[in-house]
Amino acid sequence: MAQERFADVVERFTNGFGGAAAGPPSPERLKQWHEELERNVKRVSNLARLATAADPKTGQTPREEVYKRNKSRLYRYASSRRHRTPLLFVPNLGISRPYIFDLLPGGSFVEHMTKEGFDFYLLDWGVFGPEDNDLSFEDCVVKILPRVVQKVLDTSGAGELSILGYCMGAPLSVSYVAAHPEAPVKNYVNMAGPIDFSKIGLFGQWLDRRYFDVDRFIDAVGAVPADLVRAGFKLLKPTMDVSTGLNLWWNSWNDKYVEGFSALNKWANEYVAFPGEFFRQWVRDFYQGNRLVRGELVFGGRPVRLSSVRCPVFVVGAREDYIAPPACVRALVDAVGSGEKEYIELPGGHISLIAGRGAALHCWPKVSAWLGPRS
Amino acid sequence: MTDTANTQLFDLWRRSLEESTQAWTKLVSQTPPPAGDPFAVWRPVLDQHLEAWARMFAQTPASPDVLNQWKQFLDQWIEAWSRVLGQTMSTESFAQWMGRSLDQWLAVQAPARRAAEQATEQALQTLNVASGTQLTAVARQIVDLEERLERIEDGVQAIGRRLDRLDETMKALLARPAETARP
Repeated sequence: MAQERFADVVERFTNGFGGAAAGPPSPERLKQWHEELERNVKRVSNLARLATAADPKTGQTPREEVYKRNKSRLYRYASSRRHRTPLLFVPNLGISRPYIFDLLPGGSFVEHMTKEGFDFYLLDWGVFGPEDNDLSFEDCVVKILPRVVQKVLDTSGAGELSILGYCMGAPLSVSYVAAHPEAPVKNYVNMAGPIDFSKIGLFGQWLDRRYFDVDRFIDAVGAVPADLVRAGFKLLKPTMDVSTGLNLWWNSWNDKYVEGFSALNKWANEYVAFPGEFFRQWVRDFYQGNRLVRGELVFGGRPVRLSSVRCPVFVVGAREDYIAPPACVRALVDAVGSGEKEYIELPGGHISLIAGRGAALHCWPKVSAWLGPRS
Repeated sequence: MTDTANTQLFDLWRRSLEESTQAWTKLVSQTPPPAGDPFAVWRPVLDQHLEAWARMFAQTPASPDVLNQWKQFLDQWIEAWSRVLGQTMSTESFAQWMGRSLDQWLAVQAPARRAAEQATEQALQTLNVASGTQLTAVARQIVDLEERLERIEDGVQAIGRRLDRLDETMKALLARPAETARP
């Protein structure tokens, strides 16, 4: 069947090729080729510009540093502050830099939220060095986050705050909320944050304790260097670079696309190392033990039970997310003790959920629309 | 002369295309697949490959639309590869292989790293220059110091808050006798 069909097609094509070559091309066809030629000229000039241009300016939304602790910084963004409850955004620690959330004017989650009148705070965990190898997941939950929350309340003058955790920032911040039931958290949002690690996908399989001895690994390397983080993520989607290159070439006639690509590419190639102890605990307790969802974690002598989370909870999963698959993210809705909780699944992947045109269209308005009336 | 060369080249290309097609189709049309067929995993790629080629060639005579088809074909081809690689990498045997490779890498890396660190340390000591370990130790001390300072700051703030509360209580207490003194 397949043989017959393909042979027919080859026959048609080759005959058509010969036939077409014999006659003169129509004016419409010539116009099409002319447009294609112009597009190719534009492609070459834009690619040449991309190769020689300086790094694009990212993170342009005005902000002030309100707190710093070792490498971590807390920023407060300028906004009309229409909503009374401040919003603390907790991104991932390690892996990548947080300027992806404020990539370019017109394409920035931070800009969207500040335009919507949120008193927006971003916690930048920073780039850790060998002197931070003792920093653990637990330290972040019981030492850093409580102080950050206090600073948000002090500087905003509010009595309560909303917390938004993205990616690893979600298990970090929800662990804080669960371990501190007395904390004045009014709303909690999880965007693409893994919760049930039995549904985490490829990373879970690779980090399975039968094949990966995290103690031996950390004892040998000290910290997880940025290059190793890069290798892990590249392996997760080995064809990513090829398709990125192909799409760049195809769309490079479009100035807007090239501008966006340039900024995104800068971010995508800037990997950040993990402190050793943090990675040890992250892999052992979350990937290998799935202890968050099981309620087995105790941080700073405080039990971390998701059922203690009582505030309204909004969970956003991305349909094509292979880093934190939707089922793994959705688990928070079933685990928390909140009366008001909602889960939505949006098109896109782990990054396109929060950055890019799709995010501006599908995700950001939903988050601001959910948080707005509750803030 | 040139025309003849072109025709020959074109015939050669056509023949090779047909031959490779036959080879692929033979591989793809083996039904039912034998148990443990190593090619089973590649079938989606081949199927998609054939589909895409078929669609692309069906766009005759050549126009810029062919480029769109070509792009779609490449996208599908990459996607198919991605699926195949994803399938392969999600197997237990791949995870096992990765674990073994990492173990082997660590077996080489760990002693090599230690030896290199020791050698660097000694060399720097001889030159009377601070080593990486010493700098890390100093940085750690600074981090600890910062942590202590912050704890002191927290303590001072807590005392301040208590004093504020005490002040308010005192004011309230002082105000009370005046109220009770009324007949």
